Order: sequence, then structure tokens, then C-alpha cells
Amino acid sequence: MSVNFRVQLYCLLLMLSALKGEGRYLQENEVTAEGLFSLLNSEVKRESSTDFIYRRPLRCLDMLSVEGQFIFSADRPQLNCAAYFIAEPGEVISVEFSAVDIDCRRGDFLKVFDGWFLKGEKFPSNEDHPLPLPERYVDYCDTGMPRRVVRSSQNVAMIFFRVHSPESGFTITVRKLINPFPCNIISQTREGSFTMVIPHQRTNCSFSIIYPVEIQIEELSLGRLGSNDAPVKRSVPGCGGTGDFVELLGGNGVDTAKMFPVADICYSLKGPAQLKVGCDNAVMRLVSSGKFINRVTFQYRPLDHHELQKLKGNDVEDFCFIE
Amino acid sequence: MKLAFLVFTVVLLVAVLPRYESRAIENPGAVQSASSDPQSDLQKLSLPILLRLGEEYFLRLGSANQNPQVFMPPDASSTTVKRALQLQLTQRLLQGKVANIRRFASSNSDQLDDSMERGKRTDDPPISLDLTFHLLREVLEMARAEQLAQQAHSNRKMMDIFGK
Repeated sequence: MSVNFRVQLYCLLLMLSALKGEGRYLQENEVTAEGLFSLLNSEVKRESSTDFIYRRPLRCLDMLSVEGQFIFSADRPQLNCAAYFIAEPGEVISVEFSAVDIDCRRGDFLKVFDGWFLKGEKFPSNEDHPLPLPERYVDYCDTGMPRRVVRSSQNVAMIFFRVHSPESGFTITVRKLINPFPCNIISQTREGSFTMVIPHQRTNCSFSIIYPVEIQIEELSLGRLGSNDAPVKRSVPGCGGTGDFVELLGGNGVDTAKMFPVADICYSLKGPAQLKVGCDNAVMRLVSSGKFINRVTFQYRPLDHHELQKLKGNDVEDFCFIE
Repeated sequence: MKLAFLVFTVVLLVAVLPRYESRAIENPGAVQSASSDPQSDLQKLSLPILLRLGEEYFLRLGSANQNPQVFMPPDASSTTVKRALQLQLTQRLLQGKVANIRRFASSNSDQLDDSMERGKRTDDPPISLDLTFHLLREVLEMARAEQLAQQAHSNRKMMDIFGK
């Protein structure tokens, strides 16, 4: 074969090997036949043929925000255990069970819940979750759990489990998958920023921050009938709970249906609008009729001790403190 | 000839799309020995947080508990101490009552018919966990620390690979 053709073929193989991640094996600067055929050799030494999986034991009460394998092994009866999962706002969680060794007939169970339960309240609320409540549970003991891989609808999920006999246990593999249109999010951090978009869907999406924060709305774009003209006159104060709007909720639980509305905004706005919410949980909830594309961009930062004390001093009611 | 070769190359590239998983990893032996490092680091990190958790919970429930257990022997190993804290913390959680405080807004006061009663029963979680926001934030911060340590470990490995 001509030198020119050999060079071109070598370039092609070089690009292919770079794409497959084996370019680091090319140490030679000359185009030789040995160099060419070494790439095609299936016995090329790989530095690792197995992907790295993070592993650690699972505790009876645990919180996981990393992917990996988590092994639960009971050394004594554990009757009330739960593990919470949380991912980035734009991700959902996939849980896969393997090596499950529990005695369902004795009362052991292993259930995945699509959301979080805290103090008897659930997030997302019944109204905001796409599935009815019974379908949010996947029970391993129900007909051997036909679905070994369970995927959440939002960035949080959890499992409940109970084992009576020692040496029972199971292994879960947690993965995070991309969610292109995140709806119903719990923030992992006490500060950050987010843009929530509801594209032509009749749904309500909540962004929950489980810290006392100051929220600053940077931009709100709400489609509204007649919004390109003068604002629609309303006969009731506020948004009246109809149409497309944003509401800011505050409360000491995670269920948005049981939280107090702190503010609601019915019209698009640009420019920062700030609000301090001294509650354990502050939620930005976007209500959408499905007729428009609604978008809200906001950022949040935690309130320091001084600001919290000031808020408490200003408010006489026994409610989480707003300014 | 060159154009034909270029077209052939593009078609071949499209046909052999790279996988998106990162495969720039060292040999498995090194992985196994190195993987224990971030985990032991994380366990060391989690110990002071668990200590704080335990103290916090004891302060909260100390008055209600007539016979407080011995916290820990002074010469216990770190793993024993950690395990003891975990067990005691879990025990405290299990002993606590279900905190099911419902704050009713004025608009929600008319939801006490039979269907809501049935709904409440299925609404209850399979396990009663007396977990406060404060404890939830603590375990969340532990999980974040674990995630950051894992990310740092992964970045270090990537830099080792690219440095070759």
C-alpha cells in the first residue's frame, strides 16, 4: 500500500481509537505496521475493564446523594429504617434491588416511595404528584416486585425497610438520570439559583428549600390572556387561585398543600423581588394552566441568625416569620 | 480521492459513536485500595457530625428519659463509638412519638369527612419516623460531604489519567 494511503488509514484508526478511549496506548511517533495492528489487537492491555462503582454499607437511617451500591446487612432486628435519596434538581433517581434476603411472611418489608415522607407529610403533595398515592409505593414483597428497577418522578425518593432476623439484608444500586423538565424539587443546598419552566403542561411544580432563606425572584414570565395589552382587571385580590401564577409558600412541613401562602404573583415581572421567609421550609410553586409556557428564575440564600431573630421580633403570631 | 476518504471517515465516525461513560480509570487493584480511602475519610468526617447529632438529640430528649444510657466508654474504638452513636440515635428516633402536627389554613378546615379519614390511613407512611427538619438537614449535609469527597476523588483520578 502507498505511503499516502497508509498515513490516511493510520489517521482514521487514530481518530477511532481516540473516540474509544484507547489513544493513550499510542506512544510511537512513526507510522509502522506494528503500531497499526496493535490497535486492532483484542489483547491490548486495558487499565481497567470495569467501571468504578462507589460502595458502602447502608445505615438504618441514611441519606444518599451519590450514585453507587449500598449494602444493608442487619446484625439485629431493625424494625424502623428509612433511607432518603436526593439528586440534583435536574435529575431523577433510579433504585435497583439485588441480593434481597428478607422474610416477607414474617413481616419484613422493603418499599420504595416516590417522594419524601417527613413528620407524617409527603413531598410532593397528593395534588402535585403525577401518580396516585398507592402507585407511589413499590413493595418488594408484593408478588416479588416485578419491577426491580424503580425510577422516581422527581429528584427525591426514599425506601422504608424492616427486617426481623439478623443476617437479613439487601443491596441497592442508586443511579441518577437526567430529567429535562424538572418539576417538584427539593434543594440539596441552602443557597443557589434555579429556573423552573413549565412548557404547556397543566401541572403545578414546587421548588422546596428546607432552610430559612431570602428568596429573590429575578424574572417571572407568565403567559396570560390579554397579557400583551393592559393587565387584566381582577375583581378579587391576589391571583384568586386561577390561571397561571407563582406562589411563595412557607411552613414547617414538607407538604405544600398544608403550607401557608406568603405571596403570590400573577403577572410577569423583571427585576429582583425579594422576600425573607423564616420558616423551616420555603417553597416556590408555579401553577400552570397548560395554555402557556411559564418560567420563573430565582435565587436564594440562607438567613443568618441575626436576620432570623429580627424576623421573630417583628412578628407577634406563632407562625414562621415573613418579611 | 481525498473528498471520498473524508466522507468515508465521517460515516465511520457516525457509525462508531463513543459511549458516554467515562472509562479513564486506573487498574482495578488501585481502585480497590483507593476506594477505601474516601470511604474511611468520609467515616472520619461523619463521626463528629454524628457526635453532634447524638448530643443534640440527647439534649432534646434528656428530660423525658429517666434512665439515660451510658454514652460511651472512654476507651472505645472509633468504629465502636460511631456504631454506638448510630444505634442510640436510631433508638431515640424510634422511641419518639410520631410528630404529625397539621397546621390547617382557614381554607382547609372543611376536609374532615369520611373520605378524608380513609385517605389519612393510606396517607400514613409504613414506618413512623420522628425526624425533625434539623436532623434531616444534618444527614443531608453528611450526604453532601460524601458527594463532594466522591467528586474530589473522581477528579483526582481523572487528572492522574490525563497527566500521562
